[in-house]
Amino acid sequence: MTDVPATMADVASPPTASRKWLIHGGRAALALALIAGWEYGARTLGPLFFAPPIETAQRLWALAVNGQMLSDIMATLRVAVAGFAIAGIFGVILPFLLRRSPRATEAVEPAVLFTMGIPKYALAPWLILWFGIGDMPKLVVVTLVVFYIVFITTFAGIRGVDRRLISMARVIGASERRIAREIIWTSLLPFFFTGLKIAFPRAVSATIVGEFLVSTQGVGRYIEGARQVSDTTGVFAGVVIALALVLAINAVLNGIERWALRWQPVEREMEL
Amino acid sequence: MSPLLEIKKLGKRFPARHGREPSPWVLQDLSFSVAEGEFLTIVGPSGAGKSTLLNIIAQTDTASAGEILLGGASVTTRDPRALKPGIERRIGYVTQDDNLLPWRSTIDNVLFALEVQGKLDDASRARAEKLIQAVGLAGFETYYPHELSGGMRKRTALIRTLVYDPPIILMDEPFAAVDAQTRTQLQADLLRLWEMGRKTIVFVTHDITEAIALGDRALVLSKQPSRIAAEHTIPIPRPRNVKDIFALPGFAATYEKIRADVQ
Ligand SMILES: Nc1ncnc2c1ncn2[C@@H]1O[C@H](COP(=O)(O)OP(=O)(O)OP(=O)(O)O)[C@@H](O)[C@H]1O
Ligand SMILES: [Mg+2]
Repeated sequence: MTDVPATMADVASPPTASRKWLIHGGRAALALALIAGWEYGARTLGPLFFAPPIETAQRLWALAVNGQMLSDIMATLRVAVAGFAIAGIFGVILPFLLRRSPRATEAVEPAVLFTMGIPKYALAPWLILWFGIGDMPKLVVVTLVVFYIVFITTFAGIRGVDRRLISMARVIGASERRIAREIIWTSLLPFFFTGLKIAFPRAVSATIVGEFLVSTQGVGRYIEGARQVSDTTGVFAGVVIALALVLAINAVLNGIERWALRWQPVEREMEL
Repeated sequence: MSPLLEIKKLGKRFPARHGREPSPWVLQDLSFSVAEGEFLTIVGPSGAGKSTLLNIIAQTDTASAGEILLGGASVTTRDPRALKPGIERRIGYVTQDDNLLPWRSTIDNVLFALEVQGKLDDASRARAEKLIQAVGLAGFETYYPHELSGGMRKRTALIRTLVYDPPIILMDEPFAAVDAQTRTQLQADLLRLWEMGRKTIVFVTHDITEAIALGDRALVLSKQPSRIAAEHTIPIPRPRNVKDIFALPGFAATYEKIRADVQ
């Protein structure tokens, strides 16, 4: 373990291939350590408190084979993605509308920041009262959770746009629409993706918590069902599914981000 | 003939910052005019307000006093929201910072102006390609700005304005970041282009030699608050050979006169 820093320094500069291996190796080692700790926990605390990895894996396999995993994932994703999309759209459009009017910004922004303090999950019972026990209450909670994150990161992005580029474009004769679409939108993409990457795991969490309260389907429903019958293995399997879901979507977002920002200097390798 | 561009008693002070002294006048009582087809150079020390002056003419910033006439009509406004940058594309502006769009390659940055103006066709593309050749950027068309040198970026910014051919072009030290040899080459190219099309050019520089080599007339700005300290007609006939400008008759005397005026 102690010689790792030395090797890292050795490969820090040119050979990217060996560097990649180091990264993959590091990830694998971390995953192994996590599973080892998990196994250790199961052995010392017992299966009621800590489901053993093997049993969890077997449960996952069984769920995958009988199709329940897929239908639960789809049920959770349906709500998470829909809420995510609605919130994403509004979280972007609102800052764009406010951009041209400092006065409207002054009026709206405090309201947004103030209502952000509302504990969204606590609204769920009340929302059930309103919308019944369908997808709607969950959708509202997810949308609210995601909206604030996207709104704030997008606004920060708009404020960070280089004004000189906008001046240049105006001198050249670009329309305001062109400026919004090309200069402002492209400049804030890094912020936007940061917002999405923070927001998506939360969208999934919010859906799952929503499913604890009301649902007939979904990963959260499965976890809650397992908990009620003290099926710790089921709880663990559900959590693993939720994690895998977030990882997979994050990988997709990362891919889109890399494609959208392909013009940027390759900063991933840069040491700050 | 009435001048194309007229600056009358222009003044500028920036809004005071909280907790600072009221800001001083950067420009005050500054007046001059530019005839159509004229190549006017403006020299002044760093901080004199040269960029501020060009910003006001290009309408990316407001004046605090005075008036600007374009083709005889007043285009002055004190309201930042009423500014018309580039006043209907009649004024092109090569800013001191290159202001290239970082997500566009060299060629796409050059084509940006044509694109937003809906003038992108085979002829204008060919023109862009020719300008890229002329300033020595051939082979770098697909490079992004962060992959270019400072001088290459400035050349890209220069031809981004030249390519759409506005009748008046403001240039803020466009050749400051290139080596002496490339600079002479670019100056020669600019003069050749200008002699072909006879645009009206207002060219800001802190290099007296450059001001003489390029201009019909050179204005000297004083230190703050800046006004016109002197005006010199450059007696050197065109076409000029920029490379040997030092050796041309009249150069040495003009240089001495301008240098005496620039504090
Ligand atoms: N946005 C601003 N707010 C306050 N003061 C400013 C602002 N922009 C410029 N100034 C001041 O105006 C003065 C002139 O600046 P300007 O950029 O026009 O100088 P310049 O002649 O172009 O100098 P250089 O040759 O170094 O480019 C400076 O004293 C500067 O501090
Ligand atoms: Mg300047």
